[in-house]
Amino acid sequence: SIYFERFHHFQEKMEIFVIVHSLDVPFPSSRDAAIALRSLSPDREPRKGGISKELTVSGSTLSVRWSADEARILRVSVNSFLDHLSLVLETMEMFGPPVSQ
Amino acid sequence: MTVVIGFEGSANKIGIGIIRDGEVLSNPRRTYITPPGQGFMPSDTARHHRAVILTVLKEALEQAGLKPADIDCVAYTKGPGMGAPLVTVALVARTVAQLWGKPLLGVNHCIGHIEMGRLITKANNPTVLYVSGGNTQVIAYSERRYRIFGETIDIAVGNCLDRFARVIKISNDPSPGYNIEQMAKKGTHYVELPYTVKGMDVSFSGILSYIEEAAHKMLSCGQCTAEDLCFSLQETVFSMLVEITERAMAHCGSQEVLIVGGVGCNLRLQEMMGVMCDERGAKLFATDERFCIDNGAMIAQAGWEMFRSGQVTQLEDSWITQRYRTDEVEVTWRD
Repeated sequence: SIYFERFHHFQEKMEIFVIVHSLDVPFPSSRDAAIALRSLSPDREPRKGGISKELTVSGSTLSVRWSADEARILRVSVNSFLDHLSLVLETMEMFGPPVSQ
Repeated sequence: MTVVIGFEGSANKIGIGIIRDGEVLSNPRRTYITPPGQGFMPSDTARHHRAVILTVLKEALEQAGLKPADIDCVAYTKGPGMGAPLVTVALVARTVAQLWGKPLLGVNHCIGHIEMGRLITKANNPTVLYVSGGNTQVIAYSERRYRIFGETIDIAVGNCLDRFARVIKISNDPSPGYNIEQMAKKGTHYVELPYTVKGMDVSFSGILSYIEEAAHKMLSCGQCTAEDLCFSLQETVFSMLVEITERAMAHCGSQEVLIVGGVGCNLRLQEMMGVMCDERGAKLFATDERFCIDNGAMIAQAGWEMFRSGQVTQLEDSWITQRYRTDEVEVTWRD
């Protein structure tokens, strides 16, 4: 049916065009970067599909890489990540530095 | 001595409390209050929580007179609740747990209410009525689980009250339920509403639709007052709750009732439950708004019990969850 074709076409398009976005966040130390990584990593994206986000730490830099099917979905995820990141940074500023272990 | 700090923010309240072996050392809280006619949306609520959470944390430590080093465990609400506010609170809990080098513990919000109620009232093994804006359950403990005997099959009783308040533009300050309770005292005429008990379960969505529809008609032609509607709604939904609580008590042979959750501080509900308890020779336990309404100490208290029984949550397992049933938790701290 026409509906099926449209759907099929849409799916193909989604597979071809993927928007990638990356962000590097410098931290004062690798310890701080590792704390932020472990605070920000546990929660999955609220949306089931259409977006993936990968967090990694290298030295004292936290790197985030998104790939999304649509700019709209990407924007929502990036915005919410920035809100979360700034809250974690504020928390570290107010209640850090980390105790020595 | 074991000191636990608890972070709660699953709905429109953000609270952080500190408990040391059954003693509440501090329990500051803020409420996100929306204009009359409006509910609280997840993203706006999360923004509110982000704006105040660190101030509340500072207050909690200062009022308790403690330093981070004095704390043994960081507990936070894992769920159930609204996703965005839950994440906000979990982020801060995870971060401070790491900064301070303390173990983390994810707590079921409903279990928090039950354990706080037990702590404050000293009820030993009560049948629990848990009534709030998001939950309506009748619960009894058996074999290491808080088992749900009856619950709402659609919306929570508090949600029914909140949404009724929005329809007739009752203020959300300090809470719609409180204002309905005050107005209900002035009601004189009982408007008959649907009464929807289904076995051990209850339903509130039909009552809400009915009163939403009836309200404007009846108010505009002067058939009844807003106060009459508040009174009638309370009498109807509270009767339903008392009925299913009584039936659960009969099933369990229980002689104690504990009311927890935000709606639990409604004195009319407590009064009606008290009448039923008197008739059965049972004892009623309830707490006031400090501990009934969502707060941080309740998460600290459930966390204290869990931590003392050997539980902790690894950071990678510390994701929040919007759905988390009361009976999913294994109660490792009771016989």
